[in-house]
Parts: sequence; C-alpha cells; structure tokens
Amino acid sequence: MLAYIVRRLLLAVLTVWAISVLSFIIIHLPPGDYVTSYIASMSASGSAVSEGEAKALREQLGLDKPITIQYMKWMGLMLQGNFGMAMEWGRPVTDVIGDRLTLTVVISLAAIVFTWALALPIGIYSAVYRYSFLDYLFTFVGFVGLAIPGFLLALIVMYVGFAWFGANVGGLFSPEFAEAPWSFAKAWDLTKHLPIPAIVLGVAGTAQLIRIMRSNLLDELRKPYVVTARARGLPEYRVIMKYPVRVALNPFISTIGYLLPYVVSGSIIVSLVLSLPTVGPLLLKALIAQDMFLAGTIVLLLGVLTVVGTFLSDLLLMWVDPRIRLGRE
Amino acid sequence: MKLMRAVSVLVGFGLLVLSIGSGGAAAQTAAPAPVKIGSSLIGKLEGPTIITDAKTFPTSFKEAPMLAEQVKAGKLPAVDKRLPEPSQLFVVKPLNEIGKYGGNWRRAFTGPADHENGNRINSADKILTFDYTGTKIIPSLARDWKVSDDGKTTTIYLRKGARWSDGTPFTANDFVFWYEDIYLNKNIVPTPFFEFQIDGKDGKIRKIDDYTVAFEFPEPYAFFVYQLAGSTGIGAGFATRGAFQNWGGAYAPAHYLKQFLPKYSSEEAANKKAKDLGFDSWVSLLRNRYSWALNPELPVMTPWRTVSPINTPTWSMERNPYFWGVDTAGNQLPYIDRITMTLAENAEVANLRAIAGEYDIQERHMHLSKLPVFLENAKKGNYTVHLDPGLNGADAAIHIGNSYEGDPEIAKLLRNKDFRHALALGIDRDQLNEAFWLGVGSPGSVAPAPDTIYSPGPEWNKKWGVLDLKQANELLDKVGLSKKDSDGYRLRSDGKGRLRLEMVTVGGQFVPYTQIGEMVKQQWKKIGIDVDIKELERNLAFTRDENNQNQMITWANDGSEVLFLFPRHALPVDAAESHMGMAYAKWYASKGASGKKPEDPEMLRAFDLFRASFGAKEDDRVKNAKEIWKIIVEQTWSIGTVGQSPAFMGVRLVKNNMGNVPDRQVNAQHARTPYTSMPITFYFK
Repeated sequence: MLAYIVRRLLLAVLTVWAISVLSFIIIHLPPGDYVTSYIASMSASGSAVSEGEAKALREQLGLDKPITIQYMKWMGLMLQGNFGMAMEWGRPVTDVIGDRLTLTVVISLAAIVFTWALALPIGIYSAVYRYSFLDYLFTFVGFVGLAIPGFLLALIVMYVGFAWFGANVGGLFSPEFAEAPWSFAKAWDLTKHLPIPAIVLGVAGTAQLIRIMRSNLLDELRKPYVVTARARGLPEYRVIMKYPVRVALNPFISTIGYLLPYVVSGSIIVSLVLSLPTVGPLLLKALIAQDMFLAGTIVLLLGVLTVVGTFLSDLLLMWVDPRIRLGRE
Repeated sequence: MKLMRAVSVLVGFGLLVLSIGSGGAAAQTAAPAPVKIGSSLIGKLEGPTIITDAKTFPTSFKEAPMLAEQVKAGKLPAVDKRLPEPSQLFVVKPLNEIGKYGGNWRRAFTGPADHENGNRINSADKILTFDYTGTKIIPSLARDWKVSDDGKTTTIYLRKGARWSDGTPFTANDFVFWYEDIYLNKNIVPTPFFEFQIDGKDGKIRKIDDYTVAFEFPEPYAFFVYQLAGSTGIGAGFATRGAFQNWGGAYAPAHYLKQFLPKYSSEEAANKKAKDLGFDSWVSLLRNRYSWALNPELPVMTPWRTVSPINTPTWSMERNPYFWGVDTAGNQLPYIDRITMTLAENAEVANLRAIAGEYDIQERHMHLSKLPVFLENAKKGNYTVHLDPGLNGADAAIHIGNSYEGDPEIAKLLRNKDFRHALALGIDRDQLNEAFWLGVGSPGSVAPAPDTIYSPGPEWNKKWGVLDLKQANELLDKVGLSKKDSDGYRLRSDGKGRLRLEMVTVGGQFVPYTQIGEMVKQQWKKIGIDVDIKELERNLAFTRDENNQNQMITWANDGSEVLFLFPRHALPVDAAESHMGMAYAKWYASKGASGKKPEDPEMLRAFDLFRASFGAKEDDRVKNAKEIWKIIVEQTWSIGTVGQSPAFMGVRLVKNNMGNVPDRQVNAQHARTPYTSMPITFYFK
C-alpha cells in the first residue's frame, strides 16, 4: 500500500517536470515572441514601438537568448519559489494569479455545487422512473442544455439581463463595489452576481452528468443483486441508495481529477464573454501576448493540479469501492 | 424585430469571441444598413485654445473643493504656491464655458496592455503638442521653444515654479538626469532612439540654466521640433513613454528614481532591493517603477495620477494637486476629480456596457460596426454618438509584399507596377464603403485627406483608386496573364495552372479585415484574379511580414498622414513594422548594412527624399512629402480601399451631461486623440 503511494508520488514528480518542459515548448511554438505581440498590439491600437525600443525590451526580458537558456532561467527561478515577472502586467506572476484565484475558485465551486445538486437527484429519478413523463422532460431539457454552447447562453442571459432587468453587463461586482474593500455589502453584491455565471457554467455539465448518472444507474438496477435485495424485502429506498447509486458514482469520483484544474481555471470562453475576473481570460491573454512566465506558470499549475487530482481520485476510489481496495491488496 | 437584431448582433459578438476575434459582427449588422447612416453624426471640428499672451493671464486662482479641504487641513500648500509663477502658466480657454469641479469619469479599459487608453487622456506632459486641428504645434509642458537658424539646436523653455505631483520643483536637472543616467546607460537603453539621431548621429541634451534646455545635433535637424510634439519616444511625454516601459520622454523625476539606480548606491544594493521586491534585476524594478500606470508612487507632470494601478481590475486616477494649467478664469485644471476605468475582459463587453450607458466618454474600443445598436440605445443610455473621421487614406489598405520571397512567378508579378495597378482598379470601393463603413468613409487610394499639409492634392486620392474593370483587364493581359481557365480565372505564365494569390488578414481588430478581404475576392473574380483570404493570428501575420512571406496583408495605414512622424504604414522604412517589404525596410534603416536593396528606382527615389527631409526646412519638407505621396500612389505599393473614416477610435459615445466636449475632434495618432480636445477642460454639467 505504502509502496504503491510512493511509486505514484515519484511518477507524479516526473510527470510534473515533463509538463514544465512541454508547457515551455508549447508557449514557444507560435511564431514571434512577447515583443512581436507587443508591437502588433500597439499597431492595432494606433501606437508605435520603434525598432530600438523593441530591441531594448527583448534584451531586458532575455528573449534574445536561446530557448534552453530561457528554460534554465525559468526553472532556476521556480526552484527558488519565484515564478518570474508577468511581462504584460509588470508584477510577479504569483501576485497576478493570486489576485484572481479566490474569485475563480468561488465561481467554479458555485458552478460545481449547482451541477451536482441538480444532476444527481435528477439522474437518479430518471433512472428509477425510466420513460415516465418527467424522465422525458428532463431528457429533453438536458439535451437542449447540452446542445447550447456556453458562450451563446452567456450572451443571451447577459442581453436579457441588461434589456429587461437592467442588470450590470458582465463582471462580478457592481461598479460601486468594484474598488471597495471587502465588506458584508460587497459580499452580498457578489452573491447577487454569482448565479448567472454559475448557471451558465453549470448547465452543460449538468446535462452531461444527468445522462451519465442515468445510464450508470440503469445498468446497475438490472443486476441480479438488486433483484435479490428486492426479493429479500429491503425497502425500495435502501435498495437503490445503498448499492447501485454508490457503484454508479464511480465515474464521478474518477473525474474529480479533472475538476481540480477546472476549479482553478474556470471556463475560458464563458469567463471572457461574461467578463469574469478569473484565471481563464488571464491565461488566454497571456498566451496571445506570449507572456511565457505567466502562461507557463498557469499551464504548469493546471498540469500539477491534474496530476494531484488524479492521485486523489485514485485514493478516493479505493475508499468508496471496496472491490478496488481488495483488488489492490 | 428590435430584439432579433440585437440578438443577431450578440451572436456576432459570440462568434467573435469564439474565434478569438475573427470579427463577424460587421457583416451581421452592415448588410441592412441604410445609406450614409453616419454622415449626420460628423459635426464641426472644434476644440479648446491656449492663451500665450501673459498680459491676459488670470491673476487670482481657485481650486477644486477636494483640494481646498486638504489645504485647510494643512496637508497641502495653497493653490498659488502649487502653480508655476503667474507669467509662466499654461492657460486654456475651454471650448464652450468655464466648467465645474468634481465628478468621476467612467471608462472602459481592456487590461494592462491598454495603457494608451489613459496615456492619451493624460498627455499634457508632452514637451510640445498639437492644437485641436492637429496641424499647429503649441506649447505644453514647455512654455516656448526655439529652433536655431542652422537647425542644429532646438531649445525649450520650462515653466518656472512648475512642480512634480509630489511638490518637488521641475527643472532642467530632470532632463539632464534622464539623458545622463537613463538614456546613456547602456544597461537601460541599449539602442539609441531613431528620433534622437540625425542621419545615424546622436543628439545631446544640454542644460543652459534651470529652466532652459537645449537639444543639440551634429547636423541640421529642423524636423526635431515635430518629434517633440508628436507621439514619438522622445516627445510623447514621460508618463506615456514610461507606461510603454520604453524609457522615453526626455525627462524623469530624478529625486524619486535615483534610489533605484546603482550609480547612487551600488550594483549589489540596487539588485538586492529588486530581488526583495520579486524582480530579477534592478533594471526590471526600474522599468516597473518608471511606469505611471503601474506605480502610484511615481511623481508625474500629468493632470491625473494613478491611484489604483492598471494591473488591477480597476485602473483609477485622481487629480494631480500640482498640475500647472488653469482656465481663463484662474481655476486650476483639470475640472474632473477622478477617472475610473473598469476592466472589460474583451472589447465586446465594453461595447455592451457602453450601450447600457455605463461610460461617460468612451471612444476607444467602440466599434463602427455597432453604430446601429449604439444609435438605437442612445436615448435610453442618455448619450450622444459622435463620429470623428481619421485623416489617413485607408482604414483597410492591401499592403503588397514588395520584397516577398516565395513563389518566383508571384514575386515577379507583385513587383510589376501594372499588375498592382490592375488589382487596385479591380476593387469596387463604394460597395466596401456601404457594407463595412456604413457609407461614412472615403473610397480611394492610400493618399491622406486632401486638407492635410502633406496631401499632394485631391486628384491623388482618386488616382488608381477607382473601379475600372476594362483598364484592369487590359493591364493584366499586358503583363502576360491573358490565358484563362474554364472558370474564367487567369493562368500562370509558367504553365503551372491557375494563378492563385494569397491575402493575409487579421481578425478581431477595429476593422473587419477578413470580411473586407472576402468581398475583394468576389470583386477580383471579375478581372480573373483568384485570391485566397487567409486569416492568421496577429503575431503569425507580423512574423510572416518579418520573413517576407506575405504576398499581401490587409492592415490600416493610420498615422501615414504625418509621414515623417509615423512612416511605417506609408513606406517600407521602419524595421520594427513593415507590411510592404521588410527586407527593404531593414535595408533603409540599416543604411544598406542588412536587408535587401529595392530594385524599384522609384522606391529608392522616395527613400532619398524621405531621408533628406529630416534636416530640411519646413517648405522643402512639405514639398518632399507631396512628392513622396505622388510616388507612393503612382507606384501603388499599397492598395487603398476606404479611409478617412471613424473606424479607428472615431466612434465616440458621450453622456449628455458632459460639458466642453467637441462635436468633432481630430482623430490622429500624432495628436494623441482625445488629448487635443483637452480632457482637462471636460466637466460634469
């Protein structure tokens, strides 16, 4: 058991290192560098960077050095716990990400809570009362939810909110609270803004989870042990909840690994459309600007979280499913 | 119906975001647009004026209530102690009336790279600037200037008693500090500025007395005064250039910045200070501390100073209590207390918020293609829409890759003037104008607006800039492309099948280049030319420019109306950005040391005229510029489509309670729009 965990841990470290190399390469794959992108973005907004200025910037940021040297420099910094400077932001990468991390986690958790709170009961209901009117209704709504892209839903919700309810467009705070220090009123303001992003982010996932839960549970309900349990006269509630639901939950748990990076990144496109101050748009902008320290750190962070998440879900699976636990030992 | 239209626009927004900006919105709204929807929105060009006769200056002064409170509390000296000596003031006559103090100007910005948003409003700290017409140089930070007869020296006179925003006197020493400790330090500025050199020879800064500074050059450089007034590294002002993190501006607050320089401590101490704050070296730290947008502590000479920096969700500014300008009644400017810019993660959100009336004055990031929606909601949002046309000839210019290195047959054609003329004559610019500019642009060549000083005359705006299919077809037959395939497209002369050109476009810009390209593709079908429109990510497009891989790229030619201040969109002379032949630009910029010499004798002639103009007297320079423009149009190194339009930051939404805002303002890069309208005189009614 212990050897198993140690082996997994070592593998995880190796994977993380590979991710760091890969993410660095990926960021260098597109043509040009941060300075090219800077010149282009200035040109697009009617301003200019001269050749001398571009050269100076390249030298100062070390972009004129070979990629291996740049990687070593990045690695060296990271081993000291310093993730470098976000070029566009002129601040340490950790600060830039840190600023947005809390809100990202709040939004993502709200979306996950929304998803699970809706998807699990509906999935169970749909499976147990298969082909009932409500099952059809949920299936229909679910498919619609699955079919509508999140960004489109975001746009429509935003427009309707603006046109009919006079809501602020996008963002997480009303203008008067944006700068204010944290207070009860500000938290309440955030709570009021939270449902729209949470619902938009959660809808597609909910539909998907309903389908998965329904089909998993249907598979289980047909199994002989359920029939046996019924025959033995177990109450219906216990028959369903005690075993089949637990087994049907396995796929959820094995996807927790992917939830962790999601919680941190949020959905990029939806966040962009709704103008949410989360890590997603930050990553997109960093990639467009070819800000390698910022983009590299975020990609690395997501990679590490995926590795950690997978590790955690392995442990969780062992805990939930006795069959796996026994098999391992 | 209204809702449907709005939703269709919104879907357009969505597509835009999805493809990370391949603008679909224009095509969505433009199709049913009524003719000339916007021409009624273009008003009279107007603006504030500055008073230079010291005899008429005000003698008693008033200040904003928020400052008066601080004076009362003893935290700030009285207003007349904060202003320069009365004869040295910067005095502005506001456009309409004396304004009222107070208010918070709400605007949108799109992130830390959008510092120009604030720089342009705050450009009062330029040494010299342009008046509201964008043509005449007027004093700004310096109260006066003089160019010596031989053109080698430009002297500026500072305002006695002017102070930095922390109250420290502003003197010639701040120029000397910038020159000796920043500009000449190779660790900070490794390459000299192009505009601070004449013919490759460096300029110098010399202090004459505490309030007089001379810029000296080894050769005549009469044009230097324009470099000081324009949006250049040396002239754009300390705040603006600092936000670019490019060390420009010609002066800097010595008393504050010395603490970051090793010269005033030691290399180790300076680096340690940087490391403690999370920076890798003292240069990185200095770069961060040098930017007014990033560093609220930085002393500035601008009307507003940063309170909450640009790398946070709100970039907010507050009035500078030591600002050195007053109105004609002696009120210290600016009128508006605060500016609050809220982060819009993308320009679409900014547009939607503008429609909701959430911004007081906003011209940046507002899209011409959304004009119908802006107008529809104007009443509800309580704002007025103004259009400010630009002065440049083409808001979408098809720049020809004159130094294209690739398919030799196509390279040869691109270097053939007749071929370029044929392409130019095959474009129906009126159709483009109606579809993408809602009829408010001017179709024609790349030549600047006829009323700009360098314009060679209105006939050059039409030359090679009209639809003439007959002549286009004749020219194409003449260059050896007379054979066609069964679809009516011309065949290559080397027998390798159909001639297929490639036009690169970039999505998500102020102008929908890709959609324009697609329409041109349809139009060129009539002259038997097949072109593939290739939308590329912006960096890739620019990198391909750099490597001479683009046959054609559609981009604007903004700034080209001030030829010598911003030549890169008119001639291939700037190696930082050139769409019409990077190899030639490198050759010109390096004086033949790298790059490739153009074969076209006319391009060489344009280069010679261009190089000679920087030292030339005003009249000769204007003459040269007109000649260069004639060459550019005649040679058609770039094909103009539609220009002189408000597509580039010229769609301005102004809340109805704002005062002293001009009906129309000059919309030009060198004029730092909206600075020429002097935001310091805007106020809340």
